[in-house]
Amino acid sequence: MKARKIIGSTLFYLLVTAIVVYTIFPFYWAIVSSLKEGSALYKVDFLPPKPEWGNYTAIFKEQPFGKNILNSLVVAVSVVVISLALSVTASYALGRINFRGRTPLLLIVLSVSMFPQVAVLSGMFELVSWLGIYDRLWSLSLSYMILTLPFTTWVLTTFMRELPKELEEAALVDGAKPLTIITKVFLPLLGPAMATTGLLAFIAAWNEFMFAITFTLSNERRTVPVAIALISGASRFELPWGRVMAASVIVTVPLVILVLIFQRRIVSGLTAGAVKG
Amino acid sequence: MAEVVLKKVGKAFGDIIVIRDVDLDIAHGDFVVFVGPSGCGKSTLLRLIAGLEDITSGELFIDGAKVNDALPSQRGIAMVFQSYALYPHMTVYENLAFGLKLAKTDKEAIDKRVREAARILQIDHLLDRKPRALSGGQRQRVAIGRAITREPKVFLFDEPLSNLDAALRVQTRLEIARLKDQLGATMIYVTHDQVEAMTLADRIVVLNQGRVEQVGSPLELYTRPRNVFVAGFIGSPKMNLLKGAVEAVAPESMTVRLPGGTKVTVPLAKDAQNLQPGTGVTLGVRPEDVGMATNGMAKITGRVLVVERLGSESYLYVRTEGDQTVVVRRGPGATAKADEPITLGLPGSASHVFGPDGLALSRAVPAAA
Repeated sequence: MKARKIIGSTLFYLLVTAIVVYTIFPFYWAIVSSLKEGSALYKVDFLPPKPEWGNYTAIFKEQPFGKNILNSLVVAVSVVVISLALSVTASYALGRINFRGRTPLLLIVLSVSMFPQVAVLSGMFELVSWLGIYDRLWSLSLSYMILTLPFTTWVLTTFMRELPKELEEAALVDGAKPLTIITKVFLPLLGPAMATTGLLAFIAAWNEFMFAITFTLSNERRTVPVAIALISGASRFELPWGRVMAASVIVTVPLVILVLIFQRRIVSGLTAGAVKG
Repeated sequence: MAEVVLKKVGKAFGDIIVIRDVDLDIAHGDFVVFVGPSGCGKSTLLRLIAGLEDITSGELFIDGAKVNDALPSQRGIAMVFQSYALYPHMTVYENLAFGLKLAKTDKEAIDKRVREAARILQIDHLLDRKPRALSGGQRQRVAIGRAITREPKVFLFDEPLSNLDAALRVQTRLEIARLKDQLGATMIYVTHDQVEAMTLADRIVVLNQGRVEQVGSPLELYTRPRNVFVAGFIGSPKMNLLKGAVEAVAPESMTVRLPGGTKVTVPLAKDAQNLQPGTGVTLGVRPEDVGMATNGMAKITGRVLVVERLGSESYLYVRTEGDQTVVVRRGPGATAKADEPITLGLPGSASHVFGPDGLALSRAVPAAA
């Protein structure tokens, strides 16, 4: 009995170790590689003997990488804010109000997310140039919305449905209008859901590549993923791995920090005390 | 003067009719309790008054104004929900103040009213807590407090005690009774618990399948049920309802013959000449009125099925010769045992007779004690 338990927990921790190595190792390798220059890149060192920071300074000196990060931030934040604002109000209607055609509408919202990006690319390009926002950051904010809105709406609708009906009725009796109910009563309770969906939307917008490379032209307007892909070396035949890795590490860090901040908010039980339970 | 008047109020969800033509006058300061079995529409009726459901037909007046289409907040009502429905992210103080804040009451007035309500309910020390840090009873008080701060014309309670444990329920019931005297407002209270109904109500409204079966004071309903449904619903254990047939009709009484041969003569206020001998009727006797077989009582024999001893009293479940079950209330020292033969006495003067349509034939004896 005891031996079985020991074997069981040994296997369990082996599995955990394997998963951790599998997920963390690429990032670790990126960090190690970003600290090497020249031919040192091609030697296997698990800890670089002499860390070089040249790659990090180079990407900011030789191209507008700071500007690229700022672009990515502007796009991602605007996408998160607009998607959440739209989907919270939409989810109130879809989750709490009975109206004809509610289910078809929800299905349409869902089906939007089924189209592969390539399928909408050319149409979206037409739209972007018709609106005159080609090579502007707005083009990305707008186009990313079709990636983020369906799932933010769906997730928030699900959460919205689970909020107790009596809470809304109590607010109605207290004299709250729908917008007040959303902002004063439901929004604070949707905190965890908003944090989760907002974070996912942020990551989606932060990582997006295809729209970004299609709708922007100048280096000044590029977002980070495109900028990294276009980092070039001294000659056509040289791929500057060190700099690519340095850039990747820089853009991954904000995501890690965001997740660490929000994971404390992504906890259930915020509604505790509302109703008997 | 906040009276609530319902005129032919009806409610249908699609094809399903839940409330049928309810007429009701609730006077100012009345404590009215809606009771009925689950699914009888009592909660729906309350929600119609609150404005949380739309009225399908009929008219509703609160304080003289027709409010069919008014928003809940414009009706001058406050509601206490079964699940409390406190705002979980707000402190008790903010919960109590929320409605007033929305009504743009000035800060000092809000503070005064919130503290007053908290004082009445003895929750002053909890004002800074969030609902999740409160016990069930405390949450319930906050929910009631939220209603009080709005200073409504009419209080609506939707089964407010059903989530509390038995001891707390009795205590909160007493507090609501005290509150009723203190506030003097009109109150409408929904429950399926008859003890709550009997103890709290000035008037009880018995509902069944969306219809009002009877309206009256608790004792009136207990001693003079208008029909078989009310007779069976009010009282615990319920009234014994025995099937029988008319044996003979006299000018001021009727003799009912039960299967097994027992004949009970019940004095009636009006004669029931229209009922022919042989017509099926129902004889109703409360468990406490069934006595020992003494002189002047109709005797009925049977066999004891079960004896329930509650300490302060005992209940005998007796299977009669006519194959009907009679519940008898006895003192704590009842000697009867299961499977024993027993002879019971049915007092005609304390019995009710219900005609074939289920309606009570009016009794000659005024509300017996």
